[in-house]
Amino acid sequence: MSEPPLVDVRGLSRTFDVSKPWLNRVLEGDERRLLKAVQDVSFTIERRETFALVGESGSGKSTVAKMVVGLLQPTDGSVTIDGVDMWKGSAAGDIKALRRRIQMIFQDPYASLNPRWRVGRIIADPIRAFGLAKGKAEIEHRTGELLRLVGLDPLDARKYPHEFSGGQRQRICIARALSSKPQFLVCDEPTSALDVSVQAQILNLMRDLQDQFGLTYLFISHNLAVVRHMAARIGVMYLGRLVEIAPAGALFSAPQHPYSRMLLDAVPDLKMSGRPRKMIEGEIPNPIRPPPGCAFHPRCPLATDQCRSEVPLPLAFQGRTVACHEAGAGRI
Amino acid sequence: MTRPVLSVRGLRVEFPTRKGVLVAVDDISFDIAEGEVLGVVGESGAGKSMTGSAVIGLIEPPGRIAGGEVRLDGRRIDNLPYEEMRRIRGRRIGMIFQDPLTSLNPLYRIGDQIVETIRAHAPVGEKAARQRAIALLGDVGIQGAEARIDSYPHQFSGGMRQRVVIALALAADPELVIADEPTTALDVSIQAQIIQLLKRLCRERGTAVMLITHDMGVIAETADRVAVMYAGRIAEIGPVRDVVQSPHHPYTKGLMGSIPTLDANAPRLMQIPGAMPRLNAIPKGCAFHPRCMEALGRCWQDRPEPAAIGRSEVACWLTAGAVAGAGR
Repeated sequence: MSEPPLVDVRGLSRTFDVSKPWLNRVLEGDERRLLKAVQDVSFTIERRETFALVGESGSGKSTVAKMVVGLLQPTDGSVTIDGVDMWKGSAAGDIKALRRRIQMIFQDPYASLNPRWRVGRIIADPIRAFGLAKGKAEIEHRTGELLRLVGLDPLDARKYPHEFSGGQRQRICIARALSSKPQFLVCDEPTSALDVSVQAQILNLMRDLQDQFGLTYLFISHNLAVVRHMAARIGVMYLGRLVEIAPAGALFSAPQHPYSRMLLDAVPDLKMSGRPRKMIEGEIPNPIRPPPGCAFHPRCPLATDQCRSEVPLPLAFQGRTVACHEAGAGRI
Repeated sequence: MTRPVLSVRGLRVEFPTRKGVLVAVDDISFDIAEGEVLGVVGESGAGKSMTGSAVIGLIEPPGRIAGGEVRLDGRRIDNLPYEEMRRIRGRRIGMIFQDPLTSLNPLYRIGDQIVETIRAHAPVGEKAARQRAIALLGDVGIQGAEARIDSYPHQFSGGMRQRVVIALALAADPELVIADEPTTALDVSIQAQIIQLLKRLCRERGTAVMLITHDMGVIAETADRVAVMYAGRIAEIGPVRDVVQSPHHPYTKGLMGSIPTLDANAPRLMQIPGAMPRLNAIPKGCAFHPRCMEALGRCWQDRPEPAAIGRSEVACWLTAGAVAGAGR
C-alpha cells in the first residue's frame, strides 16, 4: 500500500468582507459586499512531490497558500497535513509540532527579512523558537551549516540583509525556512522578483535541497514555464476555483480546460517555431461580481447556455480533474 | 540602405558621485530603421532603461550624457536645448512606460489627455482632435471608444489602461516609440494582447520601436533585432532569430539557458554563477569575465569591442579569436 498524501486540502473556501463601513451602508443603502477569494478548492500533495498552483492575479493562489500554512483561517473546508487537521479538532500540541514541519518562502526577499537583524539571528530565530539546538555554539554551528547549504559563507551571518543582492537574500530566506528542519515548504512566487539568471540559480538550489532532504513543495507562480520546470502536478486556478489539476506533462501537451489552453497559448514562444496561437479575448472579471455559472464563460470560445447558468463541478477524467461542462466532449 | 530613424553612436551616460564617476551606459552604438522593432534586453542594472532615457533626453541630474551622439532622422538631438527637446518628445518620439497608472493623469478624462496631446503637436481644432482620439482608441482595441472616451483612468483595467497609454504615445504620429517594460505589470493573457497590438500598430504606421524589457520571451515574439546589454554595454546585437537560437556571447548563451521552457523537462537549468556587478565595481577588461566559464587571460585586461559575426555584432574575445583564427 502506498503512503497517504502528506497534504490533503478539501473543499477549501475563503470569503473576505469588503463592504463599506456599517454607517455608510445604512446611509447609502449599500449591500454587504463579499469577495469569494477561494471557493471549494481540493487537492492532495504526495510526499516528496512538487505540486504547483498557477493562475493570474486575483485567482486566489496566494490565499490558498496562506490557509495551507496556517496564516489565514478558512471560511470553510479543511487542510490536513500528515493526518493533523490544521484548523479544527486537533490538539494544540499536535498543531505546534506540525508548524515546525511547515515553512514558507515569500516573493519579496526585500520585505521578508528584518533589516535590523543580522543574518545569523534571522536564521537562528526558528531554531530558538522551536528549541532545536541548545547553547550559543551549537546554534552558531547550525547557522553556519545552513548558510553553506544555500551557497553562502558562514561568515555572512554577521552581516545585515541590505548587504546582499536579491538572489542572495532569497537564499537567506531559504536557509531560514530550512532551519526548523521542515518537511513541507510553501513557496509563494519565490523567484518573481529576481532576474532570470538569478532565478535559475534559486530554482536549481530548490531542486537540490528537495533531493537532499526529501522536501515536499507547494509551489505558487504565475509563470507557466517556471511551474513546468519545477512541478510534477499542476493545479490551474481561475477566479478562486481550481479549473484543472493534471500531471505537468499531460497539462502541457493536452490541456483539457479552455482556460488552461488559453494560458498556454499566451506564453511567449522562445523557440520561434511559429506555432499557431489563439488570441485571448477579454479580461479577468471583477471577483466581487463574478459571472454566473462557469466564471470563465464570458472569455470562453466554447461556452454554451449550460455554462452561463451552472457552475461546473470538478470531475476526474483521464488521470486529471477538470471543472468544465465541455471537457471530454472533444471540442477543446 | 535608407537612413535609420534613430542612430546612436558611442553613447556614454555618467553619474558623478562623491566616490567617483559611475558609468551607467558605456560607449554603445545601434540603429533602428523605419518600421523596425529593436529589443533591448538585459537584467536589472544593465543600463537598458538608462539608454532609453538618454535617447529622449530625460536623464535625471546629476546624471548626464558624457559622450557620443543620438540622431533622429539624421539630426542630432542629444545636444538640443530643453525647450526644443520637449517639442520632440511626444511629437516625434512617443513613450510607453511600465506602469500605465503613473503615465496617465488620474484627474483628467482619457479623451482630454489624448486630445491635448494631439493638439499640442498638430494644428487641428477641438472637434477634429476628438474624432482622431476616438479613432485611435478604436485602433488600440477599446470597444465602444465613443462612450469610453469620457472615462477616467481608474475606470479602466490594467490592460485597457496600457492600451490608452499606447494610443497616447501614437497620438502625434511619432517616428519612434520607446517602450520601457510595457507588459511587465500585466498578466500573461493580457501581455500577449498588448504585444500583438504594439507590433501591429507600429508595422502599419512604419513607426520604429525601441522595446526595453527583461523578458526574452517578449523580445522573441516582438522584435526584429535585439541588443543584449550587460553592465552598461552591448554584449551582442543582431537579428532576433540569430541571437535567440544561436547566441555567440557567453552571457547571451547563459541567459538563454537559464530561462525555463515549456517543453524541455531538463532537471537543471543552466546557471551563470554570481550576479551583475554594481556600477561602482565594474571589472576591468570584459565586464563579464568574473562570471564567464571560458574567460581567457586577455578578457581580464582588454575590453572587447563589438565585431561582426554573421549578421550579428558580438563584443567578446572568444568569438573575436575564432574569427581571426578562421581568417588565417
